[in-house]
Amino acid sequence: MRSIFDRIRGILTVDHPSPALKQLPTPIALVISLVIVWAVPDIAILNDVWAIIGVVLVTLATALSAILTWKTRYANWAVLIPVIDFIGIGAFRAGTGGTASIFSAMIILPVVWVAAEKGRGYIALAGAGAAVALMMPYIFGVAEITNAGDLIRGVFSPLIFIFASIIINELARQSRAQLSSIHSLADEKEAMLQRTFEYASQLEESEAKYRSADRLFRGVWAAVTEQSVIGTDITGLIDAWNPGATKMFGLTWRQAEGKRYIFDFHLQEELDARARELNYPPGETVLNPGFSALVESARLGNAESRDWTYARDDGTTFPVSLSVTKRMDEAGATAGYLFVAADVTQEREVSRLKDEFVGLISHELRTPLSSILGYLELMKDDDEHPLSDEQVQYLGVAERNAHRLLRLVGDLLFTAQVESGKFPLDARQVELESIVRAAVESARPGAAAGGITLVEQLTERSPVTHGDPVRLGQACDNLISNALKFTPRGGTVTVTLSETEKDAVITVSDTGMGIAESELDQLFSRFFRASTATRNAVPGVGLGLTITKAIVTAHHGEMDVQSEEGVGTQFSMRLPLASAVLSPS
Amino acid sequence: MTARVVIADDDVDIRALVRISATRAGFEIVAEVGDGDAALAAVREFAPDLAILDVTMPGLTGVEVCRAVREDPALDAVRILLLSAAVGEVSMATGLEAGAAAYFEKPFSPRELTASLIGVLGGAPS
Repeated sequence: MRSIFDRIRGILTVDHPSPALKQLPTPIALVISLVIVWAVPDIAILNDVWAIIGVVLVTLATALSAILTWKTRYANWAVLIPVIDFIGIGAFRAGTGGTASIFSAMIILPVVWVAAEKGRGYIALAGAGAAVALMMPYIFGVAEITNAGDLIRGVFSPLIFIFASIIINELARQSRAQLSSIHSLADEKEAMLQRTFEYASQLEESEAKYRSADRLFRGVWAAVTEQSVIGTDITGLIDAWNPGATKMFGLTWRQAEGKRYIFDFHLQEELDARARELNYPPGETVLNPGFSALVESARLGNAESRDWTYARDDGTTFPVSLSVTKRMDEAGATAGYLFVAADVTQEREVSRLKDEFVGLISHELRTPLSSILGYLELMKDDDEHPLSDEQVQYLGVAERNAHRLLRLVGDLLFTAQVESGKFPLDARQVELESIVRAAVESARPGAAAGGITLVEQLTERSPVTHGDPVRLGQACDNLISNALKFTPRGGTVTVTLSETEKDAVITVSDTGMGIAESELDQLFSRFFRASTATRNAVPGVGLGLTITKAIVTAHHGEMDVQSEEGVGTQFSMRLPLASAVLSPS
Repeated sequence: MTARVVIADDDVDIRALVRISATRAGFEIVAEVGDGDAALAAVREFAPDLAILDVTMPGLTGVEVCRAVREDPALDAVRILLLSAAVGEVSMATGLEAGAAAYFEKPFSPRELTASLIGVLGGAPS
């Protein structure tokens, strides 16, 4: 709701003058006229009726102007006010001497009002109004046209008023145009100001985001104290050196940034060896072969992680696992490299101790087993003191169990080797048919003893793979002996060798107790035993499938299993054919 | 003339087993020792026809003893057989490269060892 002050300001504003303000000069002039009439005896009211009508009409118009100022929605009727003024002033003039009245000049006031309205039509209205006001003494018979002078006065004076109206109308039009252009300029300025504010607030917002990102970056940078993070330009000159690097090398960033090259901290012979590996032509095109070898992978856009040796200024060295990545500038060109390294001295030591331990355990378990098996054999072979059948049978049990222990030791050693990534593979071209055949033949006595039919299905041509025949044989043995263990008397175990476009496939399927679907995922994990195995008291420790899978994986093959509880299980090993391996990938 | 043998193994029982196998092959045992340094000393002292060496022994390993023997021209005639308990520790290839005539993995069959011993010395002057 508009306050009273706003309204008063609206009335008084010169920009859009209110009807009351436009009317104000007229009543003031009338009051002055009345004061003059009262004060000056020479000037008197000649016709009371007309004078009073004049005063009443002007008062009426003034009252109307006040109302229209207050009730702005009737503003269109405001032009009635000067029209009433014309008649009022005309009447007052008629009452104060007609053509001789000194108050004729008051007519200019409504003329100005009407003429200043927007539109040429108001010029005519102003002229007509002035003419009516001037001619009123004649129209109402207060005076009579007695000579040509009177007539001309009636025409000439309105004509002057019309000229004045034209000038006022034009001036008002120009001033309105100026006003409107000032307004539109002001609006534009306002809009620009608004945009500036918006822009400033956006700037502020992005600056806050930038600051927060910067804080995060600085926090992370300072927090990485166990890894060295070193940035270089494309020549290897160091331009970033984190607290981890300070800790690793005992040099502050001031001592490193802009002063040292990344290859200062590498062993030259390692860099040279890598350069030779990458077949860099010596002394050609490559400015620093060592540095180029270091960033080769990263330069080609591949993040590379590799073991290197870092060297401190005092000559001490330590092994690191180093990742090298490329840094880009805004245009997407290579701007330098990032070297993130972790000291792996401790890991290496742990791995070495583990290997040592496994070797020791293996040795310490095999030596007593060697004695047990050796002396058992001596007893059996003793021709001078032959054993009874019963004694031979007992020794057979002892021997069988000693062999079982020996296998277990071998399996444990093997899984330890797989875990530490040291998996000796004596790979060559291998005909799988002979391996599968040998595995099936060695399993025949066991199958016969268990009353299980062992079926062998081979392809016409023997697939050839690139692999270790001993390990592949071990994998086949494991799967077949597993199948026999889990198949009840009267069942069938089928071993199939087939070939697809790229792979040789060895499948071992049985009609055994099967494996619960929920357990299939864990089947290949170390020491896992299926519930069907434990429930049916099938002996084993849960290493066979782990080893088999490790062997297949080491041969770049895949293992698959399908099983239904109570129906049977099918294991398959897919091994890439030698031709597929040899073809360039 | 009976072939003369030096046996080196830190495990007394295995040493006895080897001794029995060697005796059955008709060899004469000139020394039995329990570590690598003693083994090398015994080989140098007796210059036997054959040395049966355990790979993992205190002091010098069997492979190291083997290398030392092969570097000595005076011991050219000594044949060496290595016995190893740890798979992957020293491969057969390493042993043979060091100059061993044969390589046996533990556990071994005394019967097979006897046969092998006779085979190793088969072509050797005795």
